[in-house]
Amino acid sequence: MSAPLILLPGDEVPSDHLPSNNSNPLKLGPGLRLLSQPSSKSTPATHVLTATQAGLVTTDAKRNTVSLLSFSNCRYIPTVNDLVIAQIHHSSVDYFHCMVTPHTAHALLGQLSFEGASKKTRPMLKQGELVYARVLSIGVGAGAEVELTCVNPATGKSDPGGLGPLIGGMVFDVSTGMAARLLRASSSSEQSDIIDGLAVLSELGKKLESLGGFELAVGRNGKVWVDCSNAGDSAIKATIAIGRCLQTTDEKSLNPADQKKLVTRILREMNLAS
Amino acid sequence: MSKEAPLSVAEREFILEALRQDSRLDGRGADQFRPLKISFGEEYGHVKLELGKTSIVVRISSEVTKPRDDRPFDGLFNINLEMTAMGSPAWENGRSNELEAYVTHVLDSVIRRSNALDTESLCILKGVSCWSIRADVHIIDYDGNLTDAACIAIMTGLQHFRRPDAVVRDGQVVVYGVEERVPVALNITHKPLSITFNTFNEGHNIILDATRKEEQASEGELVVGINNGGEVCFMSKFSGAPIDAMEVVTRTRVALEKVKELNAQIEKVMQADLAKRAKKGMAEESRAENDR
Repeated sequence: MSAPLILLPGDEVPSDHLPSNNSNPLKLGPGLRLLSQPSSKSTPATHVLTATQAGLVTTDAKRNTVSLLSFSNCRYIPTVNDLVIAQIHHSSVDYFHCMVTPHTAHALLGQLSFEGASKKTRPMLKQGELVYARVLSIGVGAGAEVELTCVNPATGKSDPGGLGPLIGGMVFDVSTGMAARLLRASSSSEQSDIIDGLAVLSELGKKLESLGGFELAVGRNGKVWVDCSNAGDSAIKATIAIGRCLQTTDEKSLNPADQKKLVTRILREMNLAS
Repeated sequence: MSKEAPLSVAEREFILEALRQDSRLDGRGADQFRPLKISFGEEYGHVKLELGKTSIVVRISSEVTKPRDDRPFDGLFNINLEMTAMGSPAWENGRSNELEAYVTHVLDSVIRRSNALDTESLCILKGVSCWSIRADVHIIDYDGNLTDAACIAIMTGLQHFRRPDAVVRDGQVVVYGVEERVPVALNITHKPLSITFNTFNEGHNIILDATRKEEQASEGELVVGINNGGEVCFMSKFSGAPIDAMEVVTRTRVALEKVKELNAQIEKVMQADLAKRAKKGMAEESRAENDR
């Protein structure tokens, strides 16, 4: 593991920072662009990658991915394979038209791109309902349409699990940077704890276990969906507590120790401390 | 797309259900304002106000003009509110929307028509010249409760503003620069503020200082303009679900308490700012007596 590396837009990613696992094709995360691919003739085979945003290079050797951990943006720009929480705006014959971010062009979600959906069994989503979806393609050029999907076209399963309509619960707005951190924390590579310093979720998980735990879906577009329907009477309070903990951690960029204190304080305020 | 993005079904239902259990998303009580932060710019009458995430800049300015023919003894006072795309992506530049007309109307009624600023004191020479005071309201960020925030900001600005001194000498109007004479405070007759209540769940839940999401889930609102003395100078219930008459009476009492609280807060930050200015500002330089 080499030292953390911060790149500025236009910088090339040094080849010794790329994962050396050659069995899988190299996957690029947001903020990086491929300039030239290794051809089979040239040796040694190297990818030339440059950063399109400032950020910290992070790699995952197991899945052979390299991505750029960028800073909080005010605006979410869709990237292929991002998980997002979209809101249905209206539906047409073939598509649901969804809002990924407010006041931008609608993204399209196929009526049949749900797990196990056929013409007869497709979900009937109404205006204002939420879906957890993956960005399938972002198109090319200005005015291109973003397409979402809740299913992996190759396998016909929802991949990763949990994609599909979100029923009940509550959505909280966080910054895009916080959403990225939460997603990385859930993928739990050993590196993420050091960089992200995010203790708020595991702390909440521990404290709220006695109430029946909670469900969480994080969208890269800066939305977090929380559902505590197992908690019975205190479901609403627990949901609010989780939302407040996440938003405060985000706004005040708390360190892990302060995050734990915050969780304890808010749970006590909401009369949820066990 | 000039409309605010609609709330999702889940959000609306959650907000309503939470209110039924007397909880709000940010953990506030029903009668609690968000943290209010008022700061002042370099010049008099330049106020920056933050109410939670709602952020407003108000700038008071003055110039000498001719009074209106039908009111030769009165000065002019105008409130200009403009919603630009800076405040919220839902607003378009140069196009007025419903919210703008509504907020302008409330501000006009609460501050201007209740004569909070004594316009007769703005007269310099009958029928010839008077001061025109203008309050420009810029919305930097919008997260609900624009009316109350703008009202607090304007009232703070009016109390903080100092206009140049002007005298009439031999039928000629002489305006002194701020360096020549200590500028004069405006004549504020009373300090009204608007307090907005939002109702939910068929009038069972009434809350103060709603955020944008709460406003969207709300079924109606009640605006009370009231001053420190408990005189109601404006009351509106434009649309939405009906409210019980008794509720209106009790809410007015809550509004009075809030207005007293807010006015005390305005007074405190303003005195602190004026004291700071007095120490190093023009007032010190232009004072007649000196230490010797």
